[in-house]
Amino acid sequence: MILPFHLVKVCGDIVFAAQGCDIHSFSSSLRHISTWKYPALKADESNGASKETQDSPAPEEPPAKRRRVEPGAGSETVTNGEEAASENGRPKSKKAAQYDVPANERPFVQGLYATTDGRHLIAITGSDKTIWVFEHDGAGNLKQLSQRAMPKRPCSLTLTRDNRTILSADKFGDVYALPLLPSTTATPSSAPATQPPSRSSTPSTPASAPFKPQATELTVHTKRNLKALENQKISLDRKARQEQASQRPQFEHTLLLGHVSMLTAICVGTAPARTTSGDAAAGQEREQEGSPKVREYIITADRDEHIRVSRSMPQAHVIEGFCLGHEDFVSRLCVAPGGREELLISGGGDDYLFVWDWVRGQLLGKAGVLEHVKGVAGEEGATKVAVTRVFPCRWEGGVGVFVVVERVPALFRYELLKDNTLQHRETIPIPGNPLDVDALGTSGISPRLLVAAYPSTSSEGSSSPSLIALDKEEAGWRQTPVEDLSAGGGYNIGEIELQKILYSTESLRKLSDFD
Amino acid sequence: MGGDKIKKDRRQKREDYRAAMRQEGISELPRKKFYRQRAHANPFSDHQLIYPPHPDQMDWSSLYPDYVIDEPHHQESPPSSEVPPDNSELAPLKPKRISKDVEVADIGCGFGGLLVALAPTMPDKLILGLEIRVSVTQFVEDRIKALRAQNQDARLYRNVGVLRANTMKFLPNFFRKGQLTKVFICFPDPHFKARKHKQRIVSTTLNSEYAYVLRPGGIVYTITDVLDLHEWIVQHFDAHPSFERIGEEEQEADPCVGIMRTETEEGKKVERHKGQKYVALYRRLEDPAW
Repeated sequence: MILPFHLVKVCGDIVFAAQGCDIHSFSSSLRHISTWKYPALKADESNGASKETQDSPAPEEPPAKRRRVEPGAGSETVTNGEEAASENGRPKSKKAAQYDVPANERPFVQGLYATTDGRHLIAITGSDKTIWVFEHDGAGNLKQLSQRAMPKRPCSLTLTRDNRTILSADKFGDVYALPLLPSTTATPSSAPATQPPSRSSTPSTPASAPFKPQATELTVHTKRNLKALENQKISLDRKARQEQASQRPQFEHTLLLGHVSMLTAICVGTAPARTTSGDAAAGQEREQEGSPKVREYIITADRDEHIRVSRSMPQAHVIEGFCLGHEDFVSRLCVAPGGREELLISGGGDDYLFVWDWVRGQLLGKAGVLEHVKGVAGEEGATKVAVTRVFPCRWEGGVGVFVVVERVPALFRYELLKDNTLQHRETIPIPGNPLDVDALGTSGISPRLLVAAYPSTSSEGSSSPSLIALDKEEAGWRQTPVEDLSAGGGYNIGEIELQKILYSTESLRKLSDFD
Repeated sequence: MGGDKIKKDRRQKREDYRAAMRQEGISELPRKKFYRQRAHANPFSDHQLIYPPHPDQMDWSSLYPDYVIDEPHHQESPPSSEVPPDNSELAPLKPKRISKDVEVADIGCGFGGLLVALAPTMPDKLILGLEIRVSVTQFVEDRIKALRAQNQDARLYRNVGVLRANTMKFLPNFFRKGQLTKVFICFPDPHFKARKHKQRIVSTTLNSEYAYVLRPGGIVYTITDVLDLHEWIVQHFDAHPSFERIGEEEQEADPCVGIMRTETEEGKKVERHKGQKYVALYRRLEDPAW
C-alpha cells in the first residue's frame, strides 16, 4: 500500500514531510522539491534472503543487537506483514511478541526536528536508533552531515537554546547530549575504547576498569554458584573486552540524566536565574551582565507518569523538581510560546491535558480531551485517549494549541487564555486520522496548518489525501490536499504492520491485569 | 504428582499461616519460611504497584496511626460556591495528615532487620522501609504489627512502616524534595552481568534522585558484601557532584553503621559465612549556585 506522510516539519518556508523512511521537501506553495531516501534500503532489497535483519547500515555503528527472527523472515515480511500478523493474532504475552517479527523493524523516520534558524534538519530513524543531521540550504535541499547510531533507540529529541547541542531521550530512560555538528578535530575512531570521549561536569558512567571476576568465593556459597563463578572467570574476561570495544558509540556523547522508565518526551525551558542565591560571585556576574540571566532547564517525561525538571548543562545532575499529577503515561510536552515560557502543557494517556507552572512544579489546570473525542467518535466509541501531538502556535493574537489524539479523525484546537487556563475552541474534522501537525507562514493572524494524516479509504476504494493544508477562512476551514507522491510510496507493507508503527502511543499504557 | 501435591500443600499452608497472622490480636512474630520469595525482581516491569501520583496525596495514616492528627471534620476550606467544580480535581481529597514526615528510608528493606533495629534508636523519626517483593513486604508488615503489639506499654515500633514500592521508578512519588535525612541501601542485588548494570540500585542517573529526596547534609548509607558492587557504588557516588564521601572516622562513629553491619538480615548471613562487608557513606552537598 501507499505509505502516508506521517511527520511534517516546517523549516522557514520549506515544508519537510516524512513518508516511511524518506524525507520529502515542499515549497511554501506545496510543490514538491526533493526527496532524501534512506540509504540502507537498497541494500536490504538486494539482500532479500538474509535471515538477520540488517540493523546497522552505518559502518561506524556498533554491531546491532541480535534479534530473533522467524526463519525465512527478514525482508520477506515486508510483503507478508499483514498475513503474518493476522495469522498469529494478538501475541498473548510479551515473550510471544518478542518472537514475532518486530513490526517496527524498518527504520521509519520517527522524528523530525529543526534548528531555530532552519539551517539544520535532524531526523531520528527507528529500528537503527540513528540520529541524522542534515544541512538545509534554505531551498528544500538536504545534505547529510552526520549519522550517529545511539546506544538505545531515541524516542524524542530537542535542541538546547543555542542550537548547538542535541539532547536525545531514549527508550532506556537516558538523556544524551551530542553536539549538533561533531567537531572536526576529534578523531573518534582512534579514541581508546576504555576511555569514552564523553566528559562534562555531569557524571558519566565511569569507564570500566580492566575486567575482573565480579563475585568471589567469599560471596558465593552454593555448589552451583561456585561452578558458575568458575565458568564466569574463564569466559567473561574475553567477552567483556569484546563488548567494551564494540558497544560504545564512537562519537562524542555525554550522559546527562536518566529515568528508570522509558522516556517519551523532552523539551527545554528557560527561566530567570534565581535571585535568592546567596552566592556573591554569582550575583556579581549577574550585575555585570546588566540584564537578568536566563537559565535553561531540561524537562523530560516518561511512561511512568513523571515529568522531571533538571538543570541544563553543566548541572544536569541537579533535579529541580517534578510535575506530578498524571495518572497514566505522558507522551507529549510543550512549553508555551509567546513569552509564556513558564507554562508547560503535557498530554498522554489521561483524559486531560495538564497545564503546569513547571518552574515551581505546580499544576495550574486541566483541560478535557476525552469529552471532545467523544464528540467525534461517539459516546461509546471512545473510552480513553492517547494524545500524540500538542502543538502550540500563535493564533489570532493569542496562543493556540492544536492537539492530535491517536486514531481520532480530528484536530482539536485549544486556546491558552491569559489566566493560564486551556480552553477548547473547536474540533476540526480531518479526512483520515491526523499523525502530525505544523504551521506554515508568519504573516496574517492565523498561520496555515499542515496536517499529515493516515488516509481513510472510502467505500469506492479511493483514499483521502495524506498531506493536507488547512486555512482558516470566515466560512470555515478550507482543506487543500498536497500533491500526491505515489511514486514515493513504492514499497509494500501490510496495513496492520503499518498501523502498529504509526499508532504506537496507546501501547504505552500499562496493562491492568499484570503483576 | 507427589511433588505437585507437596507444593500445593505448602502453598495452602502459607496462605493459612498468613491469614492467621493477619487476624487482630496476634502478637507472635511471623516466621520467614512462610514469606519467602525469589530474591530478584525486575525493576523495569510494570508490577501492579500502588503509589500516589504526588507525595501530597500519599496517605501515611495507616502506616503510622499513632501520628495521625485529629482534624475536627476535614473542613479546612469551607465549601464556597465560588470555587469551580474543576478545582476539586486539582486538589484531590487530602489524606489524613500525620504530625511528622518520614525522614529515614531503607530502600530494599528485605525482611526488615534494619528497620526493626533502627526504630528504638531514633524514636522521634519516622522510618520507612521500601521493598519490591510482595511476600517480603507482607512479612515486614506482620513483623511490625507483632512488635507493636508486644511492646504495647513501651509504645515502641510506632515509628516504622513498610511499603511495597519500586523505588527506582517511584521514589519522587512518595517523598518531596529534601524530605529525607537518611537513606539506607543495604546489600542490594548485585546484578553481576554487565547487561544488567542498569538494574543496579546505584547509578549516576539514579543518584540524582537520591540527591533530590535528600536534604543537604543528609546521608546515604551503603553496605554490600560484593567487592565489585562496592567499587561500583563508590565510583558512581564519587562521580556525582551532589555527594561527598564521608571519612572513615566519622563513618565508624556513626551508630547507624554498626546497626547496618550487624542487624540487617543479609549482614547476619554474611557473618555466618565469614564474608566481607564493605561500607560507604555519602553526604548530600548543597546544590551549586544556578
